[in-house]
Amino acid sequence: MKNIIIGLIAFLLINACQKNGPEIVVYTSVDQVFSEPILKDFEKESGIKVKAVYDTEETKSTGVLNRLIAEQNHPQADVFWSGDPIRTVVLKQKGLTRPYFSPKAKTIPEIFKDPDGHWTGFSARARVLIYNKKNFKNLPVPQSIFDLTQAIYKGKFGIANPLFGTTTFHMAALFSVLGDQKAKALLQAFKQNQVVIAASNGDIKKRVLNGALACGLTDTDDAFEAQKESNAIGLVFLDQKGNPPLGTLIMPNTVCLIKNSPQPKNGQKLIDYLLRKSTEKKLAESCAQMPLHKDVTIPKKIPSLDAIVPMSINYIQVALKLKTIQKYLKKWIEN
Amino acid sequence: MDRKLKLSQWIGFIILAFLILVPVLYSLGGALFCNNHLSENLKSFDSNTIKLLLNSILLAISVAFLSSFAGSILGFLLYKTDFAYRQFFKIIFLIPLFISPYIWAVAWKDFFFTLTGPTPEMQSYGDLILVQTLIYTPLAMLITGSAFAHINASLEEAGLMVFPIKKVFFKIILPLIKPALLAAFTLIFIFSISEFSVPAFYGLKVFTTEIFTQFSAFYNYNLAILQSTILVLICLLLILSEQKYLSQAPFLSVSNRGNQIKLYALKTYRFSAYAFLIFWLTISILIPFGSLTIEAFQDGYQTIFKAFELLKSTIAESFILAVTGSLISIFTGVLFAYLSWSKRTDRTSSISKLIHWTLLITFAIPSLIFGISLIKFYNRSGLYFIYGSALIIIIGYMGKYGFIAYKMIENAIRQLPYELDEVAQTEGLPRFKRLQKIIIPLITPAIFGAFILNFMLMFGDLGTSIIIYPPGTQLMPVKVFTLMANAPQSLTAALTFIVFCVTLCIISLFYIIFKKFLKPTYDCR
Amino acid sequence: MTAVKLEHIDFSYDTKPVLKNLNLTVGAKQITCLLGSSGSGKTSILRLIAGLETPQQGKIFIFDQLAAANASLFMPSYQRKIGYIFQDLALWPHMTVYQNLALGLKEQQHENYEKSIMELLDFFKLQAYANRYPGQLSGGQKQLVAIARAVVLKPKILLMDEPLANLDVKLKRQILSYIKQLKQNFDLTIIYVTHDHREAFALADHLIILNKGKIEATGKPEIIKNDQNEYVKYFIEY
Repeated sequence: MKNIIIGLIAFLLINACQKNGPEIVVYTSVDQVFSEPILKDFEKESGIKVKAVYDTEETKSTGVLNRLIAEQNHPQADVFWSGDPIRTVVLKQKGLTRPYFSPKAKTIPEIFKDPDGHWTGFSARARVLIYNKKNFKNLPVPQSIFDLTQAIYKGKFGIANPLFGTTTFHMAALFSVLGDQKAKALLQAFKQNQVVIAASNGDIKKRVLNGALACGLTDTDDAFEAQKESNAIGLVFLDQKGNPPLGTLIMPNTVCLIKNSPQPKNGQKLIDYLLRKSTEKKLAESCAQMPLHKDVTIPKKIPSLDAIVPMSINYIQVALKLKTIQKYLKKWIEN
Repeated sequence: MDRKLKLSQWIGFIILAFLILVPVLYSLGGALFCNNHLSENLKSFDSNTIKLLLNSILLAISVAFLSSFAGSILGFLLYKTDFAYRQFFKIIFLIPLFISPYIWAVAWKDFFFTLTGPTPEMQSYGDLILVQTLIYTPLAMLITGSAFAHINASLEEAGLMVFPIKKVFFKIILPLIKPALLAAFTLIFIFSISEFSVPAFYGLKVFTTEIFTQFSAFYNYNLAILQSTILVLICLLLILSEQKYLSQAPFLSVSNRGNQIKLYALKTYRFSAYAFLIFWLTISILIPFGSLTIEAFQDGYQTIFKAFELLKSTIAESFILAVTGSLISIFTGVLFAYLSWSKRTDRTSSISKLIHWTLLITFAIPSLIFGISLIKFYNRSGLYFIYGSALIIIIGYMGKYGFIAYKMIENAIRQLPYELDEVAQTEGLPRFKRLQKIIIPLITPAIFGAFILNFMLMFGDLGTSIIIYPPGTQLMPVKVFTLMANAPQSLTAALTFIVFCVTLCIISLFYIIFKKFLKPTYDCR
Repeated sequence: MTAVKLEHIDFSYDTKPVLKNLNLTVGAKQITCLLGSSGSGKTSILRLIAGLETPQQGKIFIFDQLAAANASLFMPSYQRKIGYIFQDLALWPHMTVYQNLALGLKEQQHENYEKSIMELLDFFKLQAYANRYPGQLSGGQKQLVAIARAVVLKPKILLMDEPLANLDVKLKRQILSYIKQLKQNFDLTIIYVTHDHREAFALADHLIILNKGKIEATGKPEIIKNDQNEYVKYFIEY
């Protein structure tokens, strides 16, 4: 028994001390099922071993972002690949990132990049409304987020917890564009219309799939996954019409280099890889993410960004806005 | 107590405290004393916070009470009666411990949805209590069952000379296992009150979701840590009350004469016993697990193969880490318990108390906070060999589950007549030889029970390991959780099915090894 | 009058046979000692009489009433009016001396049970220990409490399983004297198990010597002393 224990501890210690060849540590909040294949391809191509820490919106991206903040005095990660810009902006605000202007980012529109080079966007998702067609035989499908305040949708629609994930981003964007007063009025109207608050976007997807909810706000990757599972699922890019239209929130993936990381050069190589058109093509095929580069061949069912009226926002301002509305959002959930 | 013994104990305690307690105290210190955080954060303790805390306490009490009640019935039926299939049911009823509580919550939600259709979903506190009770009852079953099995048969027979079995049960047996009942209640209370994933899934407002919100939405670590401290204090208060009430009474009461387990014939109660066991099997395993299995096989075997492909790379690593963690827990539990064992059961050395409280504090603290404390402490030069390796996971496991193994083993040792050790002393056996040759063989069932329980908890651990696992490490529960986010329902169910099968195979293997190599340790008649 | 009668008893633990076609009679109001080496079946006989075991074959009569036969129990333990002193005493550790004695009396709703208890405590000189727990008593005190508990319900038969093991000579004499007094004062039939022939000869009105589940000799002590059976001679000379 004693020998077994000593042997195991020795195994672990040896394992701890071993370093074989070049490597890179990446933390990602993009779902493992989508991010892992990309990282494995990078590993094959570059010969750099990728050690990843995955996370998911189910945990509200807790593991990764909070770990990065906790590790700030001695960073372990080289690169942070986020599913949205908010988290990378938070990291920049906390001084945990360092600038890198990747040559692969030259053709990405400026709006999707940090002007100081601390983060770069690629492969975007959008906030959409998914709906179960079975529930809409006698109901018109909402076309605007404001339609959800109508009585005909009372208790029939849901959103994920607005304190976490991309829903936070969506709320902050609405506050940023509409202003505090209008945004609060909208949320109050949601409450009066008995909006269902789900645990996560995945939960919204599930509830709409099984018909528990008629419709719900979620991200395009969840929406397309839902459509793979059932033909009864439809999706709408809200607020495409109007004068001017509010637009749909576009959420690019973002990638950033961590300050004082152990392998910054390898980190840069990974960032270059992620910002390639070929990577965007893979993400379009695997999880319906919309390329930010032009001329990327994507499956027909994936809409092009050009076909969507985007919400006119500044990502940095939205991230700043988020800080000011969190307490309000918490109260909104609780009451 | 001799100096050498005292020194060994102090060294052991210092190592343990450094590894698991100091990180927590370090975080707490930061929360309390850094930059006026205390005064700012104390303002957040408003009536809403107190309401959430009371909510959590009430829920935990309900879960602990119901689990202890159901668990003690199961414990009695499976450990004290002649029920034919009791060995089978002893293993089967452990299944809820194999799988993360979050997944059981998902399974139950799906089941209720299938049953009632698209109606208002279950978001009631009653449903939370149901799910947590079903998950934690096996713990109560193990603890009380072990206590039932170790009652001195003569005590029961002395009662049988005077009144019928029903009275013997209430007047003799139940009072004798009172320490075990209280221990089960306390343990489950702590698990329940610090659990986050199930209440969060149901969207319920409890104290742990508040801690999580402060942590993940507001990045207010210090407030989250302060709030966790309250949780820990409540658990400590409960333990203190339990100890005062029992006055050092043990978990188990082992027969001095040996392993005479008195089994009772069910007779006229046979039908009721069967009915209760089938009922429990149905609600705790068949319904949720059946629901997951049906979904897993929805698209035939392809989804199962796919799930296995996704998980196979994680099995070995998870297994090795869980076994290592369990063995170290057992090893330290045996060592600490033996070194602090004394003839006077009313006298507990200060060292034993320190060890007890150290393990208890880290057990009671929410996994998330514990994980972050470990990161903040170990992520520095000089300690990176721990932080960047699987050792950090082992330390996480020790902190979260070491208490359970230690208590189970400590109480098994305390039940042995001290004279057994003394006679070996007079024959010239040194201390560790006595431990090896006399004590360990006598408490092997308790050691095995503690090992199995720790293994299951560590193998399925999510809360702590998801925060601290080193990059590149693949742990099964973490992978299942991260894959679930965007996997179709059938794949999620298939992943859970694979987890269940793997865990069941491993537990069964352990039981076979145990049965084959365990020799009877004492005379039965 | 016969207090206990065992007819053609076959009894095994698991598959290990202990008693084979045993026939045994115990007279009322006398002290019968079951004497034999370890494993001879003495404790098994006591447990069968007490109703804690059931014979696979054969019949057990308690004061001419059928108590058990062929694996069926007709009279449960608590109805047999038997007091049992276990080898390890089996005092309930969570109850005081008083509570250990009172439990059975309360259960059977004896009136003035407090008086009965105090009388017994007085008899055994245990008044000062009434509120102590078994863990706080000496070996001899525990022994006396176990005996008191066994007789508090005024049984007709008292079964004693090696009650003097682990006691010093002085204490043994004291307790042997108590046992004789009990027989007189309570009109008891006592079945006493021991492997010490000196104890048996000092106490018994009737002796039964067992060897591997069979009766080697039975009779009054003075007759047994002169028995020519090889085993008996060997046993009592040792």
